[in-house]
Amino acid sequence: MNSRLIEFFQLAVRQLSRRRFRVILTVAGIAIGVAALVGTVALGEGIRTQAVEAIRTQSDLTLIEALPGVEGNVLQLVTPTRATAAGSLPGVASSAPVVRGTFATKGQTYVQVVGVPADGLDGVLRPTYLRGSGFSPGSDQVVLGAALGEKLQRYEGVRIGDPLVLVRRSYDAQGRPIDEETTVLPVGVMEERGDAYDQVLLMDLDLAVRLGEGDGGYSGILIRAEGPDRVFSVAEGVRGIGLSPRGSFEQIEAVNRMMDMVVIFLGIFAGLSLLVGGLMIASTMITSVYERTREIGIAMAVGASEGDVMEMILAECAVLGVIGGACGDLLGVCFAMVLNILGGPFLASRFGDAFLGLLDTEIALVTWPLLAAGLLLAVGLSLLAGLYPAWKASHLNPVEAIRSGR
Amino acid sequence: MSSPILEARGLSRHYPGGVRALEGVDLRLGRGEFVAVIGRSGSGKSTLLNIVGGLDAPSEGSVAVNGTLLDFSNRRALVSFRREMVGFVFQQFNLIPSLTARENVEYPLLFNYRPPAERQEKANALLAMVGLGDRASHYPGQLSGGEQQRVAIARALVADSPLILADEPTGNLDSATSEGIFSLLQRLNRERGVTLLVVTHERELASYADRTIEMRDGRVVA
Repeated sequence: MNSRLIEFFQLAVRQLSRRRFRVILTVAGIAIGVAALVGTVALGEGIRTQAVEAIRTQSDLTLIEALPGVEGNVLQLVTPTRATAAGSLPGVASSAPVVRGTFATKGQTYVQVVGVPADGLDGVLRPTYLRGSGFSPGSDQVVLGAALGEKLQRYEGVRIGDPLVLVRRSYDAQGRPIDEETTVLPVGVMEERGDAYDQVLLMDLDLAVRLGEGDGGYSGILIRAEGPDRVFSVAEGVRGIGLSPRGSFEQIEAVNRMMDMVVIFLGIFAGLSLLVGGLMIASTMITSVYERTREIGIAMAVGASEGDVMEMILAECAVLGVIGGACGDLLGVCFAMVLNILGGPFLASRFGDAFLGLLDTEIALVTWPLLAAGLLLAVGLSLLAGLYPAWKASHLNPVEAIRSGR
Repeated sequence: MSSPILEARGLSRHYPGGVRALEGVDLRLGRGEFVAVIGRSGSGKSTLLNIVGGLDAPSEGSVAVNGTLLDFSNRRALVSFRREMVGFVFQQFNLIPSLTARENVEYPLLFNYRPPAERQEKANALLAMVGLGDRASHYPGQLSGGEQQRVAIARALVADSPLILADEPTGNLDSATSEGIFSLLQRLNRERGVTLLVVTHERELASYADRTIEMRDGRVVA
């Protein structure tokens, strides 16, 4: 059976080589469709990969903060039970509850305060210090984010080891402000991280609670995932316990959502040209069956069954599809190469320095699965397009077919 | 006469619009017989051949092959009947132009699931037998009419079908070539024992046959 199918393919190749010019036109139709599809998807995937890679390298991807979530219009607070549950999610390396509050300095600089256990600071945030070191548990020591540290030093002359007075303002029943002052001791400034922690003041969780923050439970839970590949499953787990995960992984999710739309949208247009290629195959094969009516009648007279005739016609379609798909893949790869050589400098010159990275990377990403998909799509479409001509051929009346002058 | 290889009873073929190509024809072919069917064009000769070859179905009547009735409603049965029992020779030769002489002879065996080596060997032997051993790799377009018909005869024999049906096999050939084809058919009949049913409108060629049936207006008249 298999060897016979191979012979049908050999026959198909010979039949097709009789009509070389028409075959070239048909194959070109399919190839252009496949190339368009491969090219656009490669471009979309390339841009997606670039964007995701940029987010990975420029941010602390494995850091997630679980914030109070909303489930069925009910606010889900960060309770100690949930903090424990979040800490034991699969893929979590370490976690720590945090409370947040807002203070001001004497010089009217607003300071975002994050209270976190001392071991959580090291285990979850994993800070490196520009100057000084971390705070000790139970002390009034604090650590400054890079940007905050620089701001306080420049405008208020705050230095490591000098006491810093924080003012917490509340209002009495008459609406008059009441300021409570607290003195803390900056012991370290973190290196720049590129995220929100550059702007905050970190202190021990107990100290933050003592200063009046966190009376309604924790503000959130800081979670460190074991690796970049575990981030999304940890985020899912956080959602599973009713909380709302936040972090730079969301940017990746947003990029993926957007690129999915872009790729699908472009793919639809490219798919339309592939559809035209399919119609060309159908047209070519209908003409071919019409021209070879007598040959098909002879095949039936010498013992070909309806199935044999269908297989012979479909084998020709499959050959057209394979050639078209392979040429299309090749064309798509060329298209991607042109994009990589010319497209990077073009985008960089248009959009400026932020896109300089495009100069030495590939903006169109051709993968083996993409090429395989292009080939399979071409063959599948060709077979689909050949079904009607093949069915028509197999249902010819042999007597009339042989008698026809064609 | 020996036991019949083919027996047709009361065959009629009516076409829509009232055309009656065949009207109550009985035909009995003994094993190894060479029978010629003569008659003018339109007398129903080709229709008879197509029906007993399983290419067309009768409106009435039955065909029995080796004592078994042919079920014209069973496409599968008709296909295997055509594969195993019958070889066709046509007036227009009807070779496949994209295949060489040898490949044309092999062609029916492709549908009989025979391995390529066996097919080639057989095709070469048959081509040698019809005197075209040196033309095996020629394409039909490179052969004369008589040579093409010899290739077609070899093709009809390749599946070892016991029954060869030839419809005006010399209709497109000059008289000298026609004589050659009929003497080849006669030789095949004598040497290989194939049963031949040959339609022709030339009475002198019919003399090669053991028996002649004459048809007129869809009926057997002699």
